[in-house]
Order: sequence, then C-alpha cells, then structure tokens
Amino acid sequence: MFLGNLGSLPYFLPELAVTATILLLVALHVVSKRKTTSAPGFLALLGVGAAILLSGVSAPGSGKAIFEGMAAYDGFAIFFKVLTAFATLVVILMSMDSEELAGRSKAEYFIFLLATLLGMFLLSSATDIVMLYLSLELVSIPSYMLAGYMKGKERSTEAAMKYVVFGATASGVMIYGFSLLFGMTGSTQIAEIGRALASGKPALPVVLAAVMVAVGFGYKIAAVPFHMWSPDVYEGAPTPATAFFSVAPKAAGFAVLVRFYYTVFAGPDAAAGTWRMTSTMDWPLLFAGLSAVTMTVGNLVAVKQNNVKRLLAYSSIAHAGYMLMGFVLLSSAGIEAILFYLVVYLFMNLGAFYVVVLVRNATGGEEISDFTGLGSRAPFAAVALAIFLFSLTGIPPFSGFIGKVYLFAEVIHRGVYWLAVVAALNSVVSLYYYARIVRAMFLQEPKDASAIPVPAVSGAMLVLLAAPTLILGVYWEPVARFAHASVRMLAF
Amino acid sequence: MSAFLATVNFASPYFPVLVLLVIALVMSVGFVLLSQALGPKRYDRIKYGVYECGVDPLTPAAVRVSVKFYLLALLFMLFDLETTLLYPWAVLFRSLGLFGFIEMAVFVGILLVGLVYAWKKGALEWQ
Repeated sequence: MFLGNLGSLPYFLPELAVTATILLLVALHVVSKRKTTSAPGFLALLGVGAAILLSGVSAPGSGKAIFEGMAAYDGFAIFFKVLTAFATLVVILMSMDSEELAGRSKAEYFIFLLATLLGMFLLSSATDIVMLYLSLELVSIPSYMLAGYMKGKERSTEAAMKYVVFGATASGVMIYGFSLLFGMTGSTQIAEIGRALASGKPALPVVLAAVMVAVGFGYKIAAVPFHMWSPDVYEGAPTPATAFFSVAPKAAGFAVLVRFYYTVFAGPDAAAGTWRMTSTMDWPLLFAGLSAVTMTVGNLVAVKQNNVKRLLAYSSIAHAGYMLMGFVLLSSAGIEAILFYLVVYLFMNLGAFYVVVLVRNATGGEEISDFTGLGSRAPFAAVALAIFLFSLTGIPPFSGFIGKVYLFAEVIHRGVYWLAVVAALNSVVSLYYYARIVRAMFLQEPKDASAIPVPAVSGAMLVLLAAPTLILGVYWEPVARFAHASVRMLAF
Repeated sequence: MSAFLATVNFASPYFPVLVLLVIALVMSVGFVLLSQALGPKRYDRIKYGVYECGVDPLTPAAVRVSVKFYLLALLFMLFDLETTLLYPWAVLFRSLGLFGFIEMAVFVGILLVGLVYAWKKGALEWQ
C-alpha cells in the first residue's frame, strides 16, 4: 500500500524539520547585519536535534511506503536518519569553535551541512531509482561546496574541483546503470525491478548494470578503486567538514548500497535472516574482492602518510573495506554488523578528527610533527586521541574491537575464510600507523613545550565522544539490539 | 572463453547493440593506430601551430568568462523550472482545488526565499 502525498507527511517529520531549519537559516543570513555571530550554529543544532527526536517518535517495524512508493519509512531508514543526524550534530559543534572557519560566514556553511543531511535522510529511505539519484546528488552537491568552503585557499579549491569531477563521473556512470535497469524491467521502483530481474533477464545487461551502479555507490563510500578523490578532498576541506565526509555520507552510502543490492539483485531466502542472489552475476564475490582490495590499499598507503588528515583519510578508506565484509554475506547478521560498526566508527572517527581540529587551532598545522609531545602539552586531548586511535585499530577493550568482532564472526560463520584472513592481516598493518601518532604524542620531545589550553567546551566534546568509545567496548548490548531491530527493510 | 560464450544470449535484442559497440571501438581505435603506423610524419612549425580556419590565430583560445554569466544562468535555470511546474498546475487548477493551491504556495514560497537570498547577495546586479 502506497501512501499519498498528504498521508505521508506524518512519516516525513525529520525531513520537514531539517527543511524548515534550512529556510530559517537562509532568512537569518539575509536579515542579520553581522555575519560572524554564533546564532546560525545554535539554530542548526536546534533543527538537527529536533530531527533526531522526530526520527525516534515511531517505533521501527511499522514500515510504510510513503509518497506513492518513492521512499520507505522503515527501521532501516530510521537507524540511518538517527546516525547521520547525530554525526551532523557533532560536526556542527566542532565547526562552531574551529579556527579555520573563523571570520567566514557560518550561516551558509550550516545551510550546506543541513542540505547534505536532508539528502542523506532521503538517500537512506529512497526506494525508487529516480528518488535515489536525486537524493545522491543532494548529498553530493552541498558536499562539493563544503569542501571548497575556504574561498581563496588553493588546497580547498583544488579539493572542491576534484570532488566535482570525480562525483560527476561516478554519478554519470551510475545513472547509465539505472537506465539499463529501467530498460530491462520498465519500472523505476527497486522492488519492482528486483521482481522482474528474478524472473530471468539476459545476463550481460544485468552484469553491466550491477557494475555501473557499484561505481556510484563505491564513490560515495570511498571504496577502492573509486577512492582517488578522498585523500585530496579530506586534506583540502576544512577539518570539521572532513570529519563529516568521513562518517555521514559514508554511512548513507552503505544504507543505499544495502537497500539497493538486497532488493534488486537478491531476495529473501527460505532460511530466516538470509538472502539469496537472484541475478546470474555473483555480485557478492565482486564486492568481496573490492572489500579486500579497499582495506589493503587503504592501510598500506596510510603507512606512508605524514599529514594526519591524509592518514585518517586512508584509514577511513580501510574502514569502508572492513564494513563491506558485512555487505557480501547476504545475511541479516552481516548487515547488523555493518550498522553496529558504523555507530562505533562514528564516535572514534569524529573524535580523532576533533583532536586534529584542536591541534590545528593551537599549532596551525596538522602534520604528525605537530603532534609531538602532545602528551605533555595537552594531556587530556592526547589521551583522548590515543583512545580513538586504539579503538580504530580494534584493540580490546575499546568499542572498535567489538565492532570488528561482530564483522569477523559473521564472515567466519558464513565461511568466507579468505576475507577474514585478509582483514586480520590488515588490522595488524593499521596498528603501525595509528601507533606512529601515539608515539609522536607520548615518546617524542616537542620543539615547543608550551601547554596547549583545551577550553572546557572542547573538553566536554572530547568526553562526549570518548565515553561511548570506551563504554561501547564493555557494554554494547543496547546498540546491538537497536541494530538488530533496524534490519527490517521494506520490500513492497 | 568458451564457457563465457556459452552464457552470451545471441538472440537477445541487445546483441546488435553489443556488436555495434565492438565494431565502433575496433574502427575508431584501429584507424588511429593505422594512420600512426602507415602515415608519413613531417613536423614543422606550421604543423605545430594552432589551426584557425587557415588564418594565423589572433588571440589565445582560453578566454576568461566573467563568473556573473554562470550566476545568471543558474538563476535562469531555477525560475525556468519553476515555470515548467507552474504551467501544468495552472491548467489543472480547478480540479486540484485548495490542496493544490497550498502545495504550490509552499513550493513558490521556498523558491521565493532563494530569490530574496540571491537579491540580497547582489547576484542580480551586473556591476
């Protein structure tokens, strides 16, 4: 049953809240005389906070097909709405006291941030390829502007330019894949396309379409070989925006990847909680290969980086590789593992980037050499960064370990042993480069030993991000239960 | 290879498209390679020069275009699309009734906020 436009509105409240906030921000920006107030930031916080609360109003499980089948309102979409909105909330807080953005108009920055959030909301719930493409562009286009937000800085402009060129190419290839699917099945509804493909279609166009769509989604999650944009964009963009790119659009990319492939190229299997391929092409094997290559390239290249933002960029590529492992297993436990990993990844990655913002505010640089002696200069921030980095490595008792346990356990349970071996070896490699930063912070003498003051607000932010990283390593059951309840996708 | 060929459906209506694709690819790449291999190679100053209908080039080809044109084109696109949506609504105004009117008012209202923003930012001034 499709709900009409008016009947869908009660299930569209988070999106409406974000839209209203964007319009208010534009109005505020137009009428306000002073361009550097903190009012836009608080307004954006309020809007995103409202969106999170409104996402949680209805219990997941009561799924609805809204807007004549354009989007789904189900547990899966709600999970990603809460996740991406929370990431945006943290990034707004990070942006409010970033030195990089000081003196620039923040209202427009927050408008782009919230427009991206709106796109991610729609992307995680889209069930029609037209809607899907539109929301992917709504995520991408404001992201380009965020990357180039530091007008006049060569690096920032270069980042935006590269992002546009790669993004346009990837979405062009993807929409060609969509057109093949539409040509074969005559429908734009992904559930409809899935049913038509399951009844048997020529193999070659299906393979082409599956690969071409993988290009678009692979670009969004920065999987190798579609990752080339990410280090340059991450380095050139303002650091809070980089933190945002490395978490939120990646999460939304995984949402659409899972929903699309599990609906179009797979169907529910007889055994509960598993899917089976309905296409003649072995796409899980393709993605398993991508996963192995992604984590290996990400980790090996990260070893040689001296710029911490670039290092974290390659590390986030590697983490996309780990999460892809859960995608290829065709089991609900595999998807749950991705969802759980995205939650812990949100806290540890945003946390690591937040310390980079703090160090940049104090030293003006973001090379590993700028982090030397941070252990004595700003002990609190240094310990927090060490927690985030060890959690990213996946060392117990931090939450990153639990996230990896879920992923590895399901990979082994489904019998894909070679992938588990590759991932385990990669985790060892990653320890080396994460530990390099920790070594610089605690074991090397700084050139300038003056203390770096950490404002109380920043300290509170660090606690907000470090506490879940620690607590989810010991008591993770509520998040696991939330992820378990959320793996209910609407196929209508 | 033969195992792959066995999976190809020669009766498919898309098969001629594939054949066309392969022929186009072979011809375009083939002729470039052929002329590279067989053609005479004489290089001089005129050959390296820019071709402009046989006349010596007057100005450099890379002309800087004012960014104002892009702004104007962007705004034109926006309101052109608005008109495209307004026409069918105007035709069906009676049957859509009050609901259609409010829906359109919301849409135009959102665009209006954008117009005010562009105006205040000076995007409509040429100087």
